[in-house]
Amino acid sequence: MTSINEPAENLFPEPVPKWRIERRVNPKRSWTFAMYALATLFGLFLSALLLLTSGADVFKAYSALLKGAFGSEKALYATMAKATPLILTGLATVVAFRAQVWSIGQEGQVYAGAMGAYLGCLVFIGLPAWLYVCLIILSGMIGGALLGTTAAILKDRFDVNEIISTVMMNYLIVFLLSYLIGGGPWTEVSTTVVYQQTGPIPAASELPYLLGSTKLHLGFILALTAALVCYVLLEKTPLGYEIRAMGFNPIALAYRGTNIGRTIIIVMAVSGAIAGLAGVSEIFGTAHRLRADTLYGLGYTGIIIGMIGGLRPLGTVVAGIVFGGLASGGLYMKLLAQVPDALVPAMQGILLLAFLCAGVAARYKLVRTEKDV
Amino acid sequence: MSELFQEAILVSILAGTVRIMTPILFAAIGELVTQRAGIWNMGVEGTMLMGAFTAYIVATATGSIWLAVLASMVVGGLVGLLTAFMTATMRVDHFITGLGINLLVAGLTLYWFRIYIKGRAQPTFDGFENVPIPVLSSIPWLGEILFSQRLLTYVAFAAVPAIWFLLYRTRWGLELRCLGENPKALDIKGLSVTGRQYIAVLIGSVMTGLGGGFLMLGFSDRYLADITAGRGWLAIVAIIAGNWLPRGVLAAVLVFALLESIATHVQVLGLNVPHQIFLAMPYLASILLLMGLRRKSSQPLRLGIPYFR
Repeated sequence: MTSINEPAENLFPEPVPKWRIERRVNPKRSWTFAMYALATLFGLFLSALLLLTSGADVFKAYSALLKGAFGSEKALYATMAKATPLILTGLATVVAFRAQVWSIGQEGQVYAGAMGAYLGCLVFIGLPAWLYVCLIILSGMIGGALLGTTAAILKDRFDVNEIISTVMMNYLIVFLLSYLIGGGPWTEVSTTVVYQQTGPIPAASELPYLLGSTKLHLGFILALTAALVCYVLLEKTPLGYEIRAMGFNPIALAYRGTNIGRTIIIVMAVSGAIAGLAGVSEIFGTAHRLRADTLYGLGYTGIIIGMIGGLRPLGTVVAGIVFGGLASGGLYMKLLAQVPDALVPAMQGILLLAFLCAGVAARYKLVRTEKDV
Repeated sequence: MSELFQEAILVSILAGTVRIMTPILFAAIGELVTQRAGIWNMGVEGTMLMGAFTAYIVATATGSIWLAVLASMVVGGLVGLLTAFMTATMRVDHFITGLGINLLVAGLTLYWFRIYIKGRAQPTFDGFENVPIPVLSSIPWLGEILFSQRLLTYVAFAAVPAIWFLLYRTRWGLELRCLGENPKALDIKGLSVTGRQYIAVLIGSVMTGLGGGFLMLGFSDRYLADITAGRGWLAIVAIIAGNWLPRGVLAAVLVFALLESIATHVQVLGLNVPHQIFLAMPYLASILLLMGLRRKSSQPLRLGIPYFR
């Protein structure tokens, strides 16, 4: 009978591999960058495979996409206009996710923001133009913030998982909008057919265009300002410290005397207000009437943008412009290469998963073991 | 309204409830296995959508709905494989992985759907017929509600005790539940943590894919974008509201399905309220259910926390 104390290793010596994977304590910047570059290439490769399933010429489609996105001055402005709401929903994601509040309510908050702003546009009509626009923007932000705060209160008071509650509210808000503009009080009058939209908004309430005949409007400036505010908020203020610390160690923060529930509510209010701004910008800068289909997907895409932007405001602006380019180039590609522009959301999903894997891979290194055993 | 008419509507609502329960039940009871193993799969919605989409393509392309059912399970498993790779191998945050999967599938299905119907009328298929169980289906009321359903509905209800037996009465189930509470214990015994996590995710995803397949083939004759409309999320809520116990999950799914069934009967009932209110009911109910919930006693301790040795 063998002794219990006999070391098992001697009986079955394990083969020592020449290479092994080790966790990095401090990931190198160049290595991280290389991983993300690899992820981008991998994502483009998989998307090319997707293009093949549609029977399209990959090169032609990609070059159309690129040309439509950044090929000319006009294309560039169109890209920036498309990027505007995406940067905002991306920033909303950054604020929430940095605090490890996994809100995916940006989608619903965009709708809530658009509805709040539309309400403001009905209520404040007749005021001086600049005040009118300011109040509309403000009421849109309040609309988004209210929805965000609801999820925060549900989490804080009732321990309801924020992912679930925000998803459910995303559905609820769409039903509310569908009622309001599809038979309810906001439905476009004088039509016999219900189009699921409001009438055009008053010209005085439109966000002014920035450059002559381009589609670029005030919303873009608002988005860049929001990015700056987010940066200062997260990196330079005590609240930002609390938000970041909550991401690392909420228990330690609670011992320090921080009211976690209060912080979550503030985080969700800020995140909701920014997402609401995206709704304002899309309705009052681009669509010029309230309807559901122009708002669809802005919030979900914002999650991808915030994540790919590394949950940093600057990275989010860059990712937002790239994704805005995909969105506006997608239309061009549809025209030129007959590829459905639904390729773009699929591409975005692929890129996100590739980036997530790259983020993990960047934290490891391949090490050659010193000696063969 | 005559009494006979009221009776007929009530029976119709309840029979509808049982049918509507089917896809959510497949997903919920399958994902219960996944969650018991400690993996919080937030990609249920996407997995289900992929299953439904695949079922549509296969059903219209081949004309065989059973082949479509099989395909929805296989594709559900493939999505599950991706989920397992991300969560168990790469150890990416479970929530983020699920969100990524949902976004990816939403894009993929829309893209392929547009390609599939490009330049032609959208093809349709013949879905499932009812399969009444002999003798039992002739019981008044109950027979029509419970025993004149689609074949897969019986399977979904049979899956509840089957999964219960697997989880609570087999050695395999004990090890799997241990994974959700204390994976280290398994690891120290020399049992594979990652391997079991893969199996648990696959069971959940295959059943979720099947649920999506049934949603496609049991209710409709053509695909719509985002046809799952949050049913995958409802499955997750049902697990939480059901306190991670098979019977609790069954009860929660029953509540959602009953509300949805009432919503589909609103026009027959002749109620003069915006139909959106009834459509919103299951989503509202899920928030209320989670708010009123105080028992989380059976939540796996390590649910959603990646395991590092």
